Amino acid sequence: MVPSGRISACILLCITILSVISPALTRYSPDAIDLDSLRLPPSLQHPLGTDNKGRDILTRVMYGGRISIAVSVVAALLSMGIGLFVGLMSGYIGGKVDTIFMALVDLILAFPSLLLAIGVSVLFPPGIYTVMIALSSVGWASFARLMRGQVLSLKESPFVEAAKAVGCGDLRIVLVHLLPQCIPLALVMTGMKLGGYILTESALSFLGLGAQPPTATWGSMISSNRAYINSAPWMVLSPGVMIALTALCFNLLGDDLRDKFDIGNNRDVK
Amino acid sequence: MITFALTKALPGDPVYTLVGERSSPEIIEKVRKEIGADKGTVRQYIGYVSLLIKGDMGRSYYTNRKVFDDIKSKFPNTLALAAGAMAIAVPSGILLGLLSALKKGGISDRVISTVSILFLSVPVFWSGLMIMLFFSLRLKILPPSGTGGLQYMLLPSLTLALPAFATIARVTRVSVLDVVTMPFIRTARAKGIKESSINALHIMKNALIPVVTVIGLDFGSYLNGAVLTETIFGWDGVGRFTMEGIVKRDYPVIMGCIIVGTMLFVMINLLVDVIYHYVDPRVRIHGAKR
Repeated sequence: MVPSGRISACILLCITILSVISPALTRYSPDAIDLDSLRLPPSLQHPLGTDNKGRDILTRVMYGGRISIAVSVVAALLSMGIGLFVGLMSGYIGGKVDTIFMALVDLILAFPSLLLAIGVSVLFPPGIYTVMIALSSVGWASFARLMRGQVLSLKESPFVEAAKAVGCGDLRIVLVHLLPQCIPLALVMTGMKLGGYILTESALSFLGLGAQPPTATWGSMISSNRAYINSAPWMVLSPGVMIALTALCFNLLGDDLRDKFDIGNNRDVK
Repeated sequence: MITFALTKALPGDPVYTLVGERSSPEIIEKVRKEIGADKGTVRQYIGYVSLLIKGDMGRSYYTNRKVFDDIKSKFPNTLALAAGAMAIAVPSGILLGLLSALKKGGISDRVISTVSILFLSVPVFWSGLMIMLFFSLRLKILPPSGTGGLQYMLLPSLTLALPAFATIARVTRVSVLDVVTMPFIRTARAKGIKESSINALHIMKNALIPVVTVIGLDFGSYLNGAVLTETIFGWDGVGRFTMEGIVKRDYPVIMGCIIVGTMLFVMINLLVDVIYHYVDPRVRIHGAKR
């Protein structure tokens, strides 16, 4: 088989590095308006063309990548953190805490995710932090469910019993014995979910709920340039390709991780 | 209740947006009374719920039309779009998923798997724009936007169908691969049943059970996608209505749309559970035992 997971990991690394060091690679500023070069097709000076305000698209795509990737990764880690916390609490304490938390999880999973994310993000003034909050407030639920299952099955295992017998307190059992067992699984799941986060992030910024102009994100570049799709398709083409490529790599990586670690094959609760 | 809390916390005062920033205080006060914004939040909430129980979702701040009526009149359009997308995605997804499972590891399997993961990774608002660019602006065979008959419906349905097709194909593939290893397939082969009827009767019947769930769950993503797709293609449905509500801070509209969307989603899930009972006798037995 083709090691598609490894290849995508390499591509993702390249995309991230290019985005991070973008100021060193380009001589244009992402937001500088240049009225002499409006809507230029791709050329040597502007490899991906320029947009409606004469800004270099390659530069904006690289700068946009910083925001899009950073927001998605932070949101995914945030969801992981909340999910871990809720899952550990819910699985370890059980009883009423479990019932309440799981009811909340069910409630969130009952909403169509993008509608809920839109609902949350209109609460706050639009910006990258809003998108992070919106993404993670929707995303933590599935993490919590998986972690709870993991904790439930770990709770019965001999090493937890041994820890209890030696006289470890609950807090110590959770933090020292259970948490380290959950983190690898949580990280794998984060990798699997990141593609979805990239897509939702770009959808929110496409809808104008993310970082505000003139800041470039992939989603907002598409929405602000879509009026020129017929006369200047390159303005819409490259950010879309970047979203798709990044999401694709994350999805391939996620598939690979899932096959390796055998998640989602109903080993939730034994 | 959640949706109400959410929309109440929205920044921006609808009254200002409605009458403009520069209007006199008297007008602002008058409008505020008209839409009931002068009352306390709790009283607004109680008023809203009592209206909701009666099946009334209030009136739009802008058009002053009843939100429920607007949703009702736009809903068939969204449903038509979703139905169109399903009509494209379900048969092709099942067929190609089956094909790729039966020829596992072959060229067709690789192509189908690659294409489906690609479709899952492309954002619908971008693929929609590309489809529009190609079919209506370059080839000029279909209208780029508007609401109407089949020629208007085709492109947005196709856009919505791409990720749905991918999900269905992937699930069908995994599910068929799962069923193929079951003992009863070997039994059927040993009895000398023709390969084609094994495929049709034994494998498909069992493999379709998870697919039904996914088609139902996918309805949520149709609703998600509808907001984006309808906005792009100018399709006069609930999705675009939601988007306009968000842009104009038209609270009754946003609330109404989110409530209807969620209710629909929950109802579809319920329906899937019911269908499950008919498709899979094992679920029925388990249920009866409890």
